[in-house]
Amino acid sequence: MAVALMLLAAGAIFLYAPTDALQGPVQRIFYLHVSSAVAAYGCFAVVLVGGIIYLRNESPAADRFARAGALVGVVFTSVTLVMGMLWAKPIWGVYWTWDARLTSTLVLWIIYAGYLLVRRLAEPGRQAARIAAIVGIFGFVDVPVVHFSVTWWRTQHPGPIVVNDALPAEMLATFLFTLGCTLVLAATLIAIRYRIETLIDARQAIAEPTKLVAAPQPGAAP
Amino acid sequence: MNPLRVVLAVARKDLRAEWRTRELVPALAQFIILALLIGNFGFQIDSRNASTIAPGILWLALVFAGLVAFGRTFAAEREQASLEAMLMTPASPVAIFAGKALAAGALLVMCEAVLLPALSILFGTPFSGDVVAAVLLATVGMAALGVLFAAIVARVRARELLLPLLTLPLWIPFVIAGGVAVQSAMGLPGNYQQAIGLLLDFDILFIVLTSLAARFVLDE
Repeated sequence: MAVALMLLAAGAIFLYAPTDALQGPVQRIFYLHVSSAVAAYGCFAVVLVGGIIYLRNESPAADRFARAGALVGVVFTSVTLVMGMLWAKPIWGVYWTWDARLTSTLVLWIIYAGYLLVRRLAEPGRQAARIAAIVGIFGFVDVPVVHFSVTWWRTQHPGPIVVNDALPAEMLATFLFTLGCTLVLAATLIAIRYRIETLIDARQAIAEPTKLVAAPQPGAAP
Repeated sequence: MNPLRVVLAVARKDLRAEWRTRELVPALAQFIILALLIGNFGFQIDSRNASTIAPGILWLALVFAGLVAFGRTFAAEREQASLEAMLMTPASPVAIFAGKALAAGALLVMCEAVLLPALSILFGTPFSGDVVAAVLLATVGMAALGVLFAAIVARVRARELLLPLLTLPLWIPFVIAGGVAVQSAMGLPGNYQQAIGLLLDFDILFIVLTSLAARFVLDE
């Protein structure tokens, strides 16, 4: 269903919405760019909430949701960054500039890519879940901090002024529709990933007895 | 147990261990001089552009020296398995953590005592109280975050790999605000007062957050 909705959104973006007078067809990137940025923030909020719940009561389900949210969130952040660069090349003349939003989004991407790496490198189980929960919480706090500190420093990103009188209704409708579709897609992806994580945990539980016999890994913590 | 006394005892223990071995600070001092040397070759530095490049070299050297320093914070505890023993005492984990952070921060301040004069001698940049204040304020927050993540990765296999990956993004706010503060203190445009205010805010924010998180990191 999510795939069908995304196809519909693509149809709306290319056929329904009018072409921007100044920027031309490139402006159509905006619909998906902003939507996936919002979806990424949503995913990282899932990581934050999952992490806090996990630290409170060690619920494995909360941890699985956090894992799923981080992975999907990194995907959406990558989409946001790449689409933004594609838009910036014709409009700003360069792919990248050290602007507040760009910098903070890049930091966001790095933090959650690090989160995924922590999950891979730490001993699976309680340890990885705790470490990751803390990384997820600090990451979420760091992003507004980075954003705020670069904003007073320098910015040239178009501000979030979307709704004003000059905006054609078709554009607004297309944007809201794409946003809704993207959020559904993100939720679906998290749900799918959650199922995968459940299966991974189940397999780990079955494999656990053999792990007890295996020799401890070199360099593992005492 | 008085938490303040625990903090001081842990910090004193770490500093005394460093004083007896004298390995970390001399190594870091050399590391910093080498970083300045590389900076000299990487950029064509002369008296005209030194003040624009020196702040960047300062932060690069400081951030990477900090990573090395904080990576070593739990090395001895790990080798001797002494962290577990400390946690078994009635002392609160947050106090133990604060003591480790205090000692690591003090070691980093010693490195800065090499870095800042060396920078000013080698590149001819002004060495003022404003620069020192900005660097010290950044050190406070960097030490809190750095030790927290050093404690986190101490139990992980690829800790040398993970520490920079996790710590650097969280240090970025300090580098941004500290960077502006040092630049303006060295005569480049920038609002010094505002940058120092931001550094203070970040210090408070991250000290509160790390002391909340310390319980979950050390407690096993």
